[in-house]
Amino acid sequence: MAVFSLIIINKAGGLVYQREFQPGLRKLSTNDYLVLAGTFHGVHAITRSITPKLPLVATTTNPPIAPTTATTPTPNVTSPSSTSTPTPSSSSSTYTYPNPGIPATGLECLETDKFRLTCFQTLTGTKFLLFTEPTMVNIDVVMKKIYELYADFVMKNPFYQLEMPVRCESFDRNLQGWLRGRT
Amino acid sequence: MSYYFTILSPTDVPLFNIAFGTSKSGGDGIARFRFPDTAQYMNQFIIHSSLDVVEEAQWMNGNMYLKHIDTYPPASAYISAFLTPSGARFLLLHQPPQLPSNSAGAGGSMSGSLLLGSGGGSSRASASSVAANPTSPQTEEAVRQFMTEVYENYVKTVMSPFYRQGMEIKSSVFRGRVTAAGRKWL
Amino acid sequence: MTQPARHAAMLSISNGGPNAVAVDKQQSQHIHTQSQSSQGLRVPSNRKTIYDRHLNRSRSAELSRASFAFLFAEMVTYAQRRVTGIQDLERRLNEQGYPLGLRLLDLLYYRTMASSTSSSLSSSSTSAAPPNRPLRILPLLHLIHGPLWRLLFNRPADALEHSVSPETPNEYMITDNDPLVNTYISVPKEMSMLNCAAFVAGIIEGVCDGCGFEAKVTAHNQPTEMWPGRTIFLLRFGESVMEREKVLERAGVK
Repeated sequence: MAVFSLIIINKAGGLVYQREFQPGLRKLSTNDYLVLAGTFHGVHAITRSITPKLPLVATTTNPPIAPTTATTPTPNVTSPSSTSTPTPSSSSSTYTYPNPGIPATGLECLETDKFRLTCFQTLTGTKFLLFTEPTMVNIDVVMKKIYELYADFVMKNPFYQLEMPVRCESFDRNLQGWLRGRT
Repeated sequence: MSYYFTILSPTDVPLFNIAFGTSKSGGDGIARFRFPDTAQYMNQFIIHSSLDVVEEAQWMNGNMYLKHIDTYPPASAYISAFLTPSGARFLLLHQPPQLPSNSAGAGGSMSGSLLLGSGGGSSRASASSVAANPTSPQTEEAVRQFMTEVYENYVKTVMSPFYRQGMEIKSSVFRGRVTAAGRKWL
Repeated sequence: MTQPARHAAMLSISNGGPNAVAVDKQQSQHIHTQSQSSQGLRVPSNRKTIYDRHLNRSRSAELSRASFAFLFAEMVTYAQRRVTGIQDLERRLNEQGYPLGLRLLDLLYYRTMASSTSSSLSSSSTSAAPPNRPLRILPLLHLIHGPLWRLLFNRPADALEHSVSPETPNEYMITDNDPLVNTYISVPKEMSMLNCAAFVAGIIEGVCDGCGFEAKVTAHNQPTEMWPGRTIFLLRFGESVMEREKVLERAGVK
């Protein structure tokens, strides 16, 4: 039940925040983190555009679309809400997203046997990447709290410039304090 | 009874002033001072000359209402003062009417002094305690009520985001409120 | 026709914000209103000016902490424009707070006065006397430490101290362990001397000056393990105040 680390990526794909919460993790160089953030940003955009659509022609229940599999066999990329059944609304378009009305969000979660990566994108395009143990539950609660702390201690700070790296001491302090209090 | 009321800033700048007469005991609310109309500045002279007394009393007495603090016998003008915590001074000059009415016996039925006179011209002497006896406790209480009501409106003025300390109070609503308070209590 | 519309909207702001329906009504009755008012002052058609609002109405009202945080963040950003240094920035924040202190002082006394008279109506106790203006430094400090802090932050300040150094008898310290204004603020390392509670220091200065105690008030960081945001407000009273203090002490004024 541990949170390994948190990465925040701004809407342009730049790394603005990176922290580890567990000792003994192998460190990357700053440059590698920047590359990681940029790469993830790109992958995220691709997954959004290849989110499978469901044909509407047949009313029979479609077989669930198999999750898009990445090149390596272990990671299992899941698209958002791909398991939900298509709504039987008849419309002129032949294809629709599984959940019409909710735009495709892109990659939401990536699982390996070592960790689980959860991605949460805010309405303004900022992405929160949370690395946790694969067995951890209620990640959405943690994510929500992190977003709340971000809204409080980063966005309400007059010295924070938008889209720039987050250097807010009280954000660090509260984040660490809250995560420590959870375990 | 005629009144001259003024608000001075902590640096003695006049922020507001108004002259009015009593409305009690059949008064018509019009100021009738003993000076000729051309010498209205006399009121300002008298009131400002009492500032020394105010500033002395200010640090001896922590009350906001300092009661009757100064008298100017030649014009039989009495001055009462009220200090706001932020240093503005409310000064009220009152001048009894020229003809001193028989105020000696009026002390007994003072409890009704704040009520309106019981109509008719004959009530003038009996109910004129506020007017004829400027240093009586009844007058002081009436002035205190008046000052408190003005203070409430003053706070409202000060709380306006468009008002800065030391600005003249020009609001006609404020003037109306002060007039109403004068009519109610004095 | 744009002019009257804007005017009506402005009135609604100065009036404390009636809802949009009221604004519409004002627009439709605007010509009527204008003909009524003669000397420049325009009264809203519902005849409610700031003088018609009760000062105690918002006494126990709650304010969104988030909206205050955003407002204060913008105030800091605004003060930061074209500043020459940290001291300049603190001076500007101080100046923003100063007029607030003067106003709050009057409001604070009005409210204590109103509550004490209303209690005197119910119980004929002798404690109904309106509060006194502070004449000496100590009552003033207690006023700031207690009632003012409660009015602003809904709790008293955490400590009140007098300087122990004999050279500076005019210095007093008020401590706040976690100033509300700094809750969400992280000061960058290169400005580590800055404390945005300089705004609160300005409020205190306004209160002191309003009461006739000339003073300079500054805010200083003094973090502890437990309270990383602990702030000390240092009050330095002027010469004239200290002299008067001696005179009043001899005269036995409390």
